[in-house]
Amino acid sequence: MADLENKNIHSYLTFKLENELFAAHVSKVLNILELVKITKVPHSPDYMKGVINLRGSVLPVIDTRIKFGMDPIEFTPVTCILVLNVEIENEHIDVGALVDSVQEVIEIADTEIAPPPSIGAKYKSKFIEGMMKSKEEFIMLLDIDKVLSSDDIIDLKETINDNDNKTETELEETENTPTVNE
Amino acid sequence: MDNFQKKFIEEASDLIDRLEKVLLSIGKDNFDPNLIDEIFRIMHSLKGGGAMFGFTEISEITHDLESLYDKIRLENSPISNSLLNITLKSVDHLRNLLNINQANQTDIKENHESLKFLLSQEFSEKHENSLTKNNYLIPNTENNKDSKNSFLIYFSPCPEIFSDGTNPLYLVDELVKLGDTIILVQTQKIPNIDDISSDLCYVAWHIILSTNNSEEMINDVFIFLNKDCEAEIIKICAFDILKEDKIRNEIKELNKNPINKKEIELLLKNITPEYKKEEKVLAKMKSFKKEASILNIRVASEKIDLLMNMVSELVTTQASLGLYAENKKENKLLQISENIENLTRQLRDITFSISLIPIEHITTRFQRLVRDLSASFDKNIDLQIEGAETKLDKTLIEGLTEPLMHLIRNNIDHGIESPKERMKKNKPEQGKIYIRAYYSGVNVVIEIEDDGRGIMLDLVHKKAIEKGFIHASDVLSDKEILDLVFIPGFSTAQKVTDISGRGVGLDVVKQKIGAIRGEIEIESKPGIGTKVRIKLPITLSIIDGMLVSIDDENYIIPLNVVNKIHAIERSKLKKAYNNIITVDGDQVPFYDLRDEFEMDNDGPEISELVIVKYEDKRIGLVVDTVIGEYQAVLKSLGRLYRKQEIISGASILGDGTIALVLDSNKIINKFSSY
Repeated sequence: MADLENKNIHSYLTFKLENELFAAHVSKVLNILELVKITKVPHSPDYMKGVINLRGSVLPVIDTRIKFGMDPIEFTPVTCILVLNVEIENEHIDVGALVDSVQEVIEIADTEIAPPPSIGAKYKSKFIEGMMKSKEEFIMLLDIDKVLSSDDIIDLKETINDNDNKTETELEETENTPTVNE
Repeated sequence: MDNFQKKFIEEASDLIDRLEKVLLSIGKDNFDPNLIDEIFRIMHSLKGGGAMFGFTEISEITHDLESLYDKIRLENSPISNSLLNITLKSVDHLRNLLNINQANQTDIKENHESLKFLLSQEFSEKHENSLTKNNYLIPNTENNKDSKNSFLIYFSPCPEIFSDGTNPLYLVDELVKLGDTIILVQTQKIPNIDDISSDLCYVAWHIILSTNNSEEMINDVFIFLNKDCEAEIIKICAFDILKEDKIRNEIKELNKNPINKKEIELLLKNITPEYKKEEKVLAKMKSFKKEASILNIRVASEKIDLLMNMVSELVTTQASLGLYAENKKENKLLQISENIENLTRQLRDITFSISLIPIEHITTRFQRLVRDLSASFDKNIDLQIEGAETKLDKTLIEGLTEPLMHLIRNNIDHGIESPKERMKKNKPEQGKIYIRAYYSGVNVVIEIEDDGRGIMLDLVHKKAIEKGFIHASDVLSDKEILDLVFIPGFSTAQKVTDISGRGVGLDVVKQKIGAIRGEIEIESKPGIGTKVRIKLPITLSIIDGMLVSIDDENYIIPLNVVNKIHAIERSKLKKAYNNIITVDGDQVPFYDLRDEFEMDNDGPEISELVIVKYEDKRIGLVVDTVIGEYQAVLKSLGRLYRKQEIISGASILGDGTIALVLDSNKIINKFSSY
């Protein structure tokens, strides 16, 4: 009886971005770090916040808020870096994700997880494994691999910011014109 | 497979590689008796090892080859092309044989039989030839009808020989089996009975042997001797010296007194005055012995990787020690820390040199490739390699093989014209391919050049339009057109051949070179030739750098490109027209890295201008302050930053913060092209 129950229960770590609750499967979270100095890498996308020294190796850190189309993160005493192990194109890499605060580890049974929202959703359902309701709040269970794999970064950015698309086409045009004129 | 077999396979593949190399050099400048000796030696080791570890096929083939080359050696005859071809084929075959787990055993068997047939044919041809000549093998004096040779063998085992499990008497027995012998035992080294240690060997032998077996058979007896043992084989004469009782007695007489080598040699010389000319001392075993002393050791490459990692860690740790010592301001500690810094630096340099290997490692293969491919295309091509001693990190060498192979195939297939076509164009019939490798700063440059037909620009242009890579209205410079060949899916080959023209080509080469942080460029003159230039960093992991800071962030500029540092007032820079400033009477374009890195605030009034120089380009980079020299362990920024251009990695400083390493070449290229 107990065994059966265990099989269907998942542990998730919940964290806050702005005022919304998200959760990542604990198997993906390697570590929770206090905020340290982040070295900015020039000429990189906005959501790539920089790199930090994680016990002698270089860990890229992303601003999860920018990635989800929110305002850039503001550093507070409870700001944390989640060290996540993600699989991108069959390669396991470690990535740091800045979050506003870490809440708790919750255990969720399969039955409590609702399918991702499809219509009128604020977040692309592709990145969301499911939703659950806890204490009057909705928690979005993230598919970390998908959220962080590089193609999705671009994808997400394009959907979040229509202006980006525009500038890209504009760029293409400006690039072509001089060649024609030459 | 047991350990010995594994060891043999490892050794044998080395030997086979060397054999191939020697064979190819013979192809070039034909005859050098030393080379034949070398071939002979290699085959001999292969044969012996093969037989011992159960690779019977290997020893069969090498045996046949050995007999062939034995003849060549004796006759001093040049090696014919057909023989060279067969030998090279055999080399391939030997490689296959070594690979025990080969899937298609039947193919190998067939190959084996046909090779054996070819070899025996070649051998009989040679034999006929030699019969017509008047050569050593058929002695012309009456005495020598029995075709026996006499040898003096001096065999002095090292005292510790028993500990190897070798019984020297068995070796003597083996010699006895080879022919007629007189054995003279040397016992003078035996000490007083009280001093005798039961596990040491004190005796040596002089053996006079007359046999119709070859000298190699005698060598074989000693082939597995430890290098401290002495075994010398001297050919006395080409007849049976022991046939005459008088000589026998004289030799035996000698044995009564303690003897030494000189005496025996003297006696034998006296006996055989008429054969003085043939008293060629073939100190074969001596040369064996020389090779046996250990000059090189094999180390698993993982161990080197591990060592490199450890050294990198050490460098980082040393940096934090240095920082700590400086803050403590304690003399003793500072001194120790400085010593450790020096040692670390030396250790780092040595470790680097270990993992650097000469390019020669891969170019030998190309000699072979060119030889084989040019034959199959009916082209006459000579490959010239310059700077094969240039060294590169082994990981780079590994990553370089495939793209270089591809480029050379292209040269052979598309570049060099057929001999007929070349004649028409007033070019020498023989096409040339050059591989040149040389150092240029922190880089190694490898050029592959041919004197073939070059790349037809209009053809490339047409093709690019056809494939939709460019518009028909686009106007491109020659260089831009040439760069089109690196676009994936681009191939101008008119027909698809065995080896090239499938549309996967130069783009893959470019990508592979990029993977090892290299850059590739192509130059071509129609009708004259094509030159591809590959630029690579020498190593990938630790560099000497200069630590600078900009807006409280640290950056590292590779030291080798730093030319000069000037203090400069920012207000002066602001007034500079078109970002050009005059330093030491020179006009130098400069870039303020604060602007470049999009920092909004201004730097301190007194900033520093770091002049970096590469080839003929010179630019200034403005930084806030220069901190000092720093050994930077390069760490990758990871795949999320793979699009990053001017930063080549990061390094962790002594205090645990991160400094970004600027990619000097990219920066110079980027800025100097403005």
